[in-house]
Amino acid sequence: MENNTELIVKGLRKSFGTNKVLNGINFELHEGDRVVILGPSGSGKSTFLRCINWMEEPTAGEIYLNGELLTEKNIRRIRRNVGMVFQHFNLINNLTVMDNLLLAPMKLKIMKRNEAEKRARELLRHIGLSNKADSFPASLSGGQKQRVAIIRAMMLSPEVLLFDEPTSALDPESIGDVLSLIRELADKGMTIMIVTHEMSFAKEIATRIVFIDKGKIIEEGAPTEFFEHPKTPRVQEFLKKVL
Amino acid sequence: MNSFIDKIVELFSTPEYIDSLLHGFWLTIQISYFAILIGIILGTIIALVDTAKSSKWMVVPKFICRIYTTIIRGTPMALQLFIMFFIIFAIRGFPSIITAIIAFGLNSAAYTAEVIRGGILSVDQGQTEAGLALGLSRTTIFFKIVAPQAIKNIIPALGNEIITVIKETAIVSMVGMYDLNMAAKDIGSGQNMASYIVPMFTAALFYLATIYLITFIVKQVEKNLRKSDLREEK
Repeated sequence: MENNTELIVKGLRKSFGTNKVLNGINFELHEGDRVVILGPSGSGKSTFLRCINWMEEPTAGEIYLNGELLTEKNIRRIRRNVGMVFQHFNLINNLTVMDNLLLAPMKLKIMKRNEAEKRARELLRHIGLSNKADSFPASLSGGQKQRVAIIRAMMLSPEVLLFDEPTSALDPESIGDVLSLIRELADKGMTIMIVTHEMSFAKEIATRIVFIDKGKIIEEGAPTEFFEHPKTPRVQEFLKKVL
Repeated sequence: MNSFIDKIVELFSTPEYIDSLLHGFWLTIQISYFAILIGIILGTIIALVDTAKSSKWMVVPKFICRIYTTIIRGTPMALQLFIMFFIIFAIRGFPSIITAIIAFGLNSAAYTAEVIRGGILSVDQGQTEAGLALGLSRTTIFFKIVAPQAIKNIIPALGNEIITVIKETAIVSMVGMYDLNMAAKDIGSGQNMASYIVPMFTAALFYLATIYLITFIVKQVEKNLRKSDLREEK
């Protein structure tokens, strides 16, 4: 890879009490990478993703974003450059769609109101939800909520977008809508990390697949190689079950 | 039956009786109002301490709050009132209304704190995470995201607490204060009407009307706050 290294993870460990979820993860992410994280449930893949923007504070190890070590002090500033999309959308229930989009740019004083509103309207038009600007999240379908959540993350023009099982809580029809929006971001060169169970989507979109089991990366590689010639028995077994 | 109607006429045509009832009612309202006010302010502080992110600075305040709510909720209100009157504020000439307000205020604070704490904890953790992921500060997240959602869950239970305080203030008659409850007993006693039924039912109606009014207001506030939960378009 010629591209700039955006993210470096060194010896990442995370325990919840005595439960060791991540056991030393080393990882690099380059500009324009689209990494899909696979693994059995309980393997720590979501925890790994959530450690990257310190939704979970790492127990040990170092995370660098653009060469800067993440600490308690700078994490708030760094989070602006790392967008996150959650499984359960997490739109702010008491704010309208528009206010959800404006919240961070306004509160963090990154954009002026009219500038932010213009961008929000553009993004809403793009996902075909212009007419929902003044609706509350409760009146949206799951797929609509998730697409709004994605453009909410895009409002701050992040360098990396993290997707934590973005389609796991959706009906099949909405899944297609959400995936095509992610695909579109990918085509624009967005750096993406995604935890998903959508194997065909993983194969299609990923530039690299990372397989985690028991809190460790046990195999990593290009999607064609990973899906057609898996090296480790654990991955072979996993693929036999899911494909 | 005739004598019952006579008693009603007697109560409402004797200015002293009416005066006593209104006096008692006014005292009940005053104690309730200020006690609820103290309860909400102190209760909010306790709830905020209790739900704050744990750190070494919060260990002692959190411990104090827990002890406080445990003691208040674990002992009878009447006993707390006695302790205030006969031990802590056993000062000659100290206004009894202040003592009563403090006693009921401190009591209500413990219950209100639990109501507010429950309301805050009932807000989905995902809402806070969304704010954190966007780089917002904990203060912004609390005021813009958590508090507005928590209030919806707090208002109904808080209405309940307000009603409880108003009714509970009736026990101030045990320390000789002339509230609505005491007024009813006084008017009905031997040296006055010599019949309890009419004054006591009248007092009951006063309590009932007050509480009905509060229930109505709480319902309206609740309805207003629930607007963002509606699925239909505005």
